[in-house]
Amino acid sequence: MANYILKPFISEPKLTVACPPYWHCNKTVTTIMRDFLLALIPAAVMASAQFGFAAARVMALAGAIAVLTEALCLKIMARDVSVDDYSALLTGLLFAFLLSPSAPWWLVTVGSSLSVLLGRVFFGGLGGSPLCAPLVAWAVCKISWPRAMDVDLSMLDSELVYPLGQLKYLGPEVVSHVNHINLLLGKQLGGLGSAQIIGIVLGGLYLILRKHIRPHIPLAFLAGMYITAWIHFLIDPTQYAGPIFHLLAGSAVYGAFFLATDYASSPVGHIPMILFGLIAGVLVIIIRAYSVHPDGVPFAILLANLLTPLLDRIRPKPFGGQKIDLLHP
Amino acid sequence: MSEIVKTMWKEFSKGLWKELPPFRLVLGLCPVLAVTKTAGNGFGMGCAVIFVLTLSNLTISLVHKLIPSKVRIVCFIVIIATLVVAVELLMQAFAYPLYQRLGIFVPLIVVNCIILGRAEAFASRNPVHLSVADALGMGLGFTLSLTFLGSLREIFGYGTLFGRHCMGSDFQPFTFMVEAPGAFVCLGVILATMNVLTVWIDRRAGLKNDKKRRRQILNPLPLPAADTPKRNRLRS
Repeated sequence: MANYILKPFISEPKLTVACPPYWHCNKTVTTIMRDFLLALIPAAVMASAQFGFAAARVMALAGAIAVLTEALCLKIMARDVSVDDYSALLTGLLFAFLLSPSAPWWLVTVGSSLSVLLGRVFFGGLGGSPLCAPLVAWAVCKISWPRAMDVDLSMLDSELVYPLGQLKYLGPEVVSHVNHINLLLGKQLGGLGSAQIIGIVLGGLYLILRKHIRPHIPLAFLAGMYITAWIHFLIDPTQYAGPIFHLLAGSAVYGAFFLATDYASSPVGHIPMILFGLIAGVLVIIIRAYSVHPDGVPFAILLANLLTPLLDRIRPKPFGGQKIDLLHP
Repeated sequence: MSEIVKTMWKEFSKGLWKELPPFRLVLGLCPVLAVTKTAGNGFGMGCAVIFVLTLSNLTISLVHKLIPSKVRIVCFIVIIATLVVAVELLMQAFAYPLYQRLGIFVPLIVVNCIILGRAEAFASRNPVHLSVADALGMGLGFTLSLTFLGSLREIFGYGTLFGRHCMGSDFQPFTFMVEAPGAFVCLGVILATMNVLTVWIDRRAGLKNDKKRRRQILNPLPLPAADTPKRNRLRS
């Protein structure tokens, strides 16, 4: 005997706040990604001016391979090949900014394709990954080829220094006389894009002005870093570097504005965002101070990404909502 | 007699593709992920599992009527543990480097889900010849899977295959593959590939059946016999 299922008149609750006709706000994936790419331009220009053709080569190769990999994967999965929404290009460029300018072609190729494969395609496409895609590829490359990803080792013929490496291996006295203006202008080794602090800050401010990212995560991230570094500096100035140094060295500012604010892997509400930024910032300084890695920003952001679903459960109580005790109904 | 051979072949061949233990039944993943750093390790582990699985299926299908059903799992474990101790001593005697490399995973064959699973699901309900065929098929499938995954991880992670360099001198080994996360990623990729291949094979088999049926429906006369010479067939 057939069982008929009576479909309710309204199949699922719809949250409507205004009545039609509606007007499109022009925010599509394509326009958002285009704004992100615009925000990356100052840092990219500074990197090419400083490191020359090598930096441009790395960025171009990373972007191209990311777009190619995504197109191929979408074709194989028989889905709409939507690489014209620039999201794969953005992932490739974000990964390229973490590499050193003299990264070999195989490293850029494998890393960029992994950032699309492991970071996006395997999790179901754009917006599915619980982790920041460029950081996943960075972590895989770092443990696979530690010598090729070592910033000092790959740029031996440059006069610039890697400040966090110096801090880790030579002590804080060596970095206490470093000129903060030089660090701001990008005269440091590091990722080719993440070393250009002023360019990154300009791009981040542009994104906040265009309302594509909220200021909660970057400010909380930098505040968490500053406070933790300041506490360490107060405890023992001869063993830990100052807080401003920690903010300006390495990929801290880049992580704050571009990597921690990745849409799919960071929380949505105001308080979860602030907590997320604070946790990531504290973890950065802890990893920098106590672990074997000179820079802890990628690992800290990845760890905080794992906490995002938990943090997202911090929500205001709905109007008229009641607490249900599941154990004693 | 040929019926017996046909059923034995059916039980044997299902462990080779349709019910491949690590990749289809997704059983016994602990040794699959842990010992496949090199292809040789995987192959050695697979051989040990074939030995234990075949003899355990044989023994259990011989004595299953004597075992009370409430304590059957305990009795199975006793039989399997005896065989695993035997294989451990044999490995220590005749393949000591392999024994050192496999380490703790040789005694862990006792709790390998494949062996207990086949004992419970098949050997305790089926006659001896079918149990042995099933065990041989599953064991061979397990060994082939381990060797395949081990070779993949070894080629990309170390640049060698069975200990011999095969990737050229400029190759920078992709160390991620021989670490634990690389094993999981490899396993996932292989599972996805097997699923895609199965769908593709089924679709091609379906298409072939479709074409034949369409010809039979559209042409009411029977198809010419296969042994008529081709020039005498009006349509083929």
